Amino acid sequence: MERRKFLGLGLAAVALVPASVSAFDFRKDKPDTWTAHKVDEAIKALYGDIKAEDTDKITLKVPKIASNGGAIPVSLATDLELKSLGVFQDANPESAVIAFTIPDGEKVDYMVKIKMKGSGEITIIAEGKDGKFYKTTKKLEVALGGCEG
Amino acid sequence: MGNMKIKAKVKGDTLKCKIQAKHIMLPYNAAKKKGVDANFITHIMGKIGDRVVFEASTSQFVSKDPIFKFKAKAEGIKKGDKLEMTWTDLSGKTVTESKAVKGL
Repeated sequence: MERRKFLGLGLAAVALVPASVSAFDFRKDKPDTWTAHKVDEAIKALYGDIKAEDTDKITLKVPKIASNGGAIPVSLATDLELKSLGVFQDANPESAVIAFTIPDGEKVDYMVKIKMKGSGEITIIAEGKDGKFYKTTKKLEVALGGCEG
Repeated sequence: MGNMKIKAKVKGDTLKCKIQAKHIMLPYNAAKKKGVDANFITHIMGKIGDRVVFEASTSQFVSKDPIFKFKAKAEGIKKGDKLEMTWTDLSGKTVTESKAVKGL
């Protein structure tokens, strides 16, 4: 009985592996995203021609005035079931900053430090499991640019 | 070793993680001025066993020595499990480091 259980577990684990190791590298799959100079273009390159609806279900926290543009903390949290999450801004020469791939059913609660050359607007695009796209934006001021040109 | 600082702790039903990767994260423009090649982390992934708990594709605009914080479900994590972080940068360098999950 023990042995049978053990074998069963092994099979289950094998069956799960392909799903959980499906690494998704947006840089390889969507190279245009990272060279786009405008937020709209970057979003188009990443997700295609989409219409994102504004939502207040995504909590985006950024400082109102960032004293150091070299490390601006950006916090993101939501209860929505998401597949991926893209962070864009309009101050730097290229727009895309980071794209999270959200593992199946995981919590969405991230914090990452980003660089911005100057004051601008941060745009978050979230791809829901239901195929819908959500959007939220926030403006912030940067006292000292941190992108070294 | 010493390329990454990893903290992973289970609190209630949540796994809280904080990662700091040591990396110059040199964007193209700054690299041009200095006359060197740009280099930055392009992909970072966190795993516990075979389960992926964090994955992100990053650009040059993530800060120097970037910090990532994330949360995941603590369900199924056992004592002695390790959080394994892997990043790849533009030059193709890959670094993997792991640390035991605390709080169990």
